[in-house]
Amino acid sequence: MNDCEHRMDAAAYVLGALDDDGRYREHLAGCAPCRAEVGELQAVADVLPATVAPAVASRALRGRIMASVHSEAELLRAAGERADEPPVRQRGIFSRRLWLPAGGAAAFAAALAAVLVIALSGGSGSPVRVRSAVLAASESGARVVLIERGHRGELVLRGMRQAPPGQIFEVWLKRGSTAAPQATDALFGVTSAGNATVSVPSDLRRVSEILVTHEPVGGSLHPTSVPLLHVPV
Amino acid sequence: MARQRNPARASTDELRRLADEDLMQLVAGNDPEAFEVILERHADAAFSLAYRMCGRHAIAEDVTQEAFLAIWRSGTRYDRTRGSVRTWALGIVHHRAIDTLRRNDVHARRRAEDERLEESLEAPERTDTQAIENAAARELRIALEELPRDQRRVIELAYFGGFTHAEIASMLEEPIGTIKGRMRLGLKKLGDHLRGWEAVTA
Repeated sequence: MNDCEHRMDAAAYVLGALDDDGRYREHLAGCAPCRAEVGELQAVADVLPATVAPAVASRALRGRIMASVHSEAELLRAAGERADEPPVRQRGIFSRRLWLPAGGAAAFAAALAAVLVIALSGGSGSPVRVRSAVLAASESGARVVLIERGHRGELVLRGMRQAPPGQIFEVWLKRGSTAAPQATDALFGVTSAGNATVSVPSDLRRVSEILVTHEPVGGSLHPTSVPLLHVPV
Repeated sequence: MARQRNPARASTDELRRLADEDLMQLVAGNDPEAFEVILERHADAAFSLAYRMCGRHAIAEDVTQEAFLAIWRSGTRYDRTRGSVRTWALGIVHHRAIDTLRRNDVHARRRAEDERLEESLEAPERTDTQAIENAAARELRIALEELPRDQRRVIELAYFGGFTHAEIASMLEEPIGTIKGRMRLGLKKLGDHLRGWEAVTA
C-alpha cells in the first residue's frame, strides 16, 4: 500500500501531464512505493498508442527519413575513418596552439581542412548540416559529429572513452577566433558504449568553436583539462 | 590501420528476419539498413500516434521524422530490459508530439481537441480502418471506451491532447486532486481490464 503524499502523481506522470517531471523523477529515485506505482501504470499508458485509429506513414516521409539517415551514416563513417589516421601528437593537443590552430600543427590544419559540411534534406524545409569534430589522440576510436538544424546544433558522440571517476563531460563555446572558451550548463555523461547526444546551448551564429572537456562533477567555469574534441563552426 | 567495417553485411532479407532488439544493436553500430527495417515496422504506428495527437498531417509527419531521427542517433540508449523497441519508439514520438503541442497556447489546443472529438463522434468507425486493425488494438480501444466518461476524458486530454493536469483542472473547473484521482482510477481500471484479457487469451 502506497501512502506516500506523492502517490497521486504517478498517473499524471506516466500520461506526461506533470508540470515538473524532473522534480518527480528525483522523488522517484528515493521512493520505492511510488516507483512500483509508476511501473504498474506505465505498462497501461504504454498501450494507449494502440487505441488510436490506424493511419499510414507516406512513402515520401519514409524517404525523407532514410535520406537523412544515409547521409549521417556516411559522415559518421568518414569521421571514424579519419580517426584511424596517425594520431595528432599529444603535445599539439596539450599546448596553447589548440586555441590557435592556424599557428602550426600540420596534422591539425589538415583535420580542419577536412571538416565535412553537407546539406541534407531537412524535415520541414530547414536545411540540416553535419560537421565532423576534430578529436584528441586519446579519443581516436570515437566518432563525433555536429548536426545543425537552422541555428541550433546537436553533438552526437559515439565510442568516447568514459570520463574518469568523479568527472563529467562539459561543453564549451568559443565566440570569436581568439576568445577564451566559455562555460555552458551542458554537462553530460556517456553510455557504457561511449555514446551521447547533447544539444548545444546557444544559437550557432554566435559561436565560432565548440569544445568538450572532462571536468569535476558539477562542471567548471574555466577548463581544467585539455579538450577531447572540438568542432569549428 | 584501416578499420574493418561490416565485413559480412547482412542482406535486407536477413535483417528482416531479426528481432527489433537485435536490429537496434546494429543501429547503434551505425547501420542504416538495420534502421530501415525498424522504420518499416514502426512508421505507421508512430505516424498514427503523432496524427492522433497533432491532428494535422504535415505536423504529424514532422513529429514522426524528428522522432525517428532521434531513434537513429540515440540507438544505444535503447535498453531491452525496459520494454519493447516499439514501446520505446512510441514513447519518443509521444514526447516529441507533446513538445510540439505545448508550443501552442492552451486555447488553440483546446479547440483542436474539441474538433477532433466531434469528428470521432461523426464517423465512429470506418470499415477500411477496421479491417486493418488487429484484435488486440480493438480490444484496447473498447477497454478505453468502457471507462467512465470523466476518467476517459482526463486520460485522453493528458496523453493525446498534451494538457498538463493543472490545465485540465482549470478547463474542466475541477480541483487538481480530482483530476489526478480520475487519471489514476482510469488507468488502474484499464490495467485490470488488460490483465483480465491477457488471462483469457493466454
